[in-house]
Amino acid sequence: MEVYEVFRRSGHKQPFEHCGTVTAPDSEMAMLMAKECYLRRKEGQYLWVTRRSEIHSWSDEALPEPAADKSYRFAHAYRDVVQKRELARRRAGHP
Amino acid sequence: MSESLVAMVTALGDDELILGHRHAEWTGFAPYIEEDVAFSSIAQDEIGHAAAYYSLASTLTGLTRDAIALGRSAGEYRHAVLCERPNSDWAYTITRQWLYDRADCLRLTALEESEHDDLRHLATKIRREERYHLIHADMWMERIAHGPMEGRSKLSRAATTVLSATAGLFEPFEREAAAISEGWLTVSSEELGRRFVSEAVDALDGLGLPAEVSPGGWRAEFVASSSGDLIAGDQSAPGEAIAPAGLGGRSGHHSHDFSSLWADMTRTYRADPKATW
Repeated sequence: MEVYEVFRRSGHKQPFEHCGTVTAPDSEMAMLMAKECYLRRKEGQYLWVTRRSEIHSWSDEALPEPAADKSYRFAHAYRDVVQKRELARRRAGHP
Repeated sequence: MSESLVAMVTALGDDELILGHRHAEWTGFAPYIEEDVAFSSIAQDEIGHAAAYYSLASTLTGLTRDAIALGRSAGEYRHAVLCERPNSDWAYTITRQWLYDRADCLRLTALEESEHDDLRHLATKIRREERYHLIHADMWMERIAHGPMEGRSKLSRAATTVLSATAGLFEPFEREAAAISEGWLTVSSEELGRRFVSEAVDALDGLGLPAEVSPGGWRAEFVASSSGDLIAGDQSAPGEAIAPAGLGGRSGHHSHDFSSLWADMTRTYRADPKATW
């Protein structure tokens, strides 16, 4: 028996989203179990299953605390751009 | 009101209700959690099919669905005895589901030709769900049949018992001759039974469980495979008279197994038949 990760989507334009796992001896049975366990309440009609062992995973706990300020990678860091541009124009003598 | 139609849809509903009830007894006990959910879904589906057949009967008789499902005495149920047998082990349960759903698909295919519009549409709808039940049973049968020796021998034992009892599914319905002449049923139970035996034997053969069926058609004996690892499931003594087992259900003759199931299933309803839920 192996653990399979199950993904489903509600429509063909929606992205597949992880919804849980099933344990099964092979992918065929994993799909049937996933259908019975995760599409019981009209959640959609599309499923993916993949062996957990075939998922490459990566993580770094230090990542949320960067060494330097990286606020320039966020849109909110640019909120005052309009005022700054006005200021620069006036300083350069343009109306 | 057509009595032959009422008799037929009641028997069809009874098969689904009683087998669904047995399936539901696995809830909490199935081999593992995913299967527990899957098999419970299948049990709910079967009971849902029963409810649909009873709705049809209800429009013809004026009785409520609950009164039909739970308000009858044990002798008024018309399901095949096979459906009421205890679950025994998982091999038995799966073998029964596998053979029952094959029989049911044949029956539904015939009902899709019925001249009764509601019954015809219902058969089409039910068959869509039964497709998944059959996929489920096929997967288990293939895996047990090609797995270790212990499972294979349990399977051949179960197949022997279940196959002989499938005869009860093809006993004629009450007033079947009228149902056929009125066009509700287009193929007789006897003919469906013949088709079923030949399909079932082919399917068992496909699993490496070659069955030799007795001339009567309902008793299978499993032939040892060339590697000699298959225990023949038939425990009867040589020369013993071979008769189909599990007959009588369609005329209300049930086994003791049904007495306890009926008492359990109808207890709440009988406590207060007028209660609304």
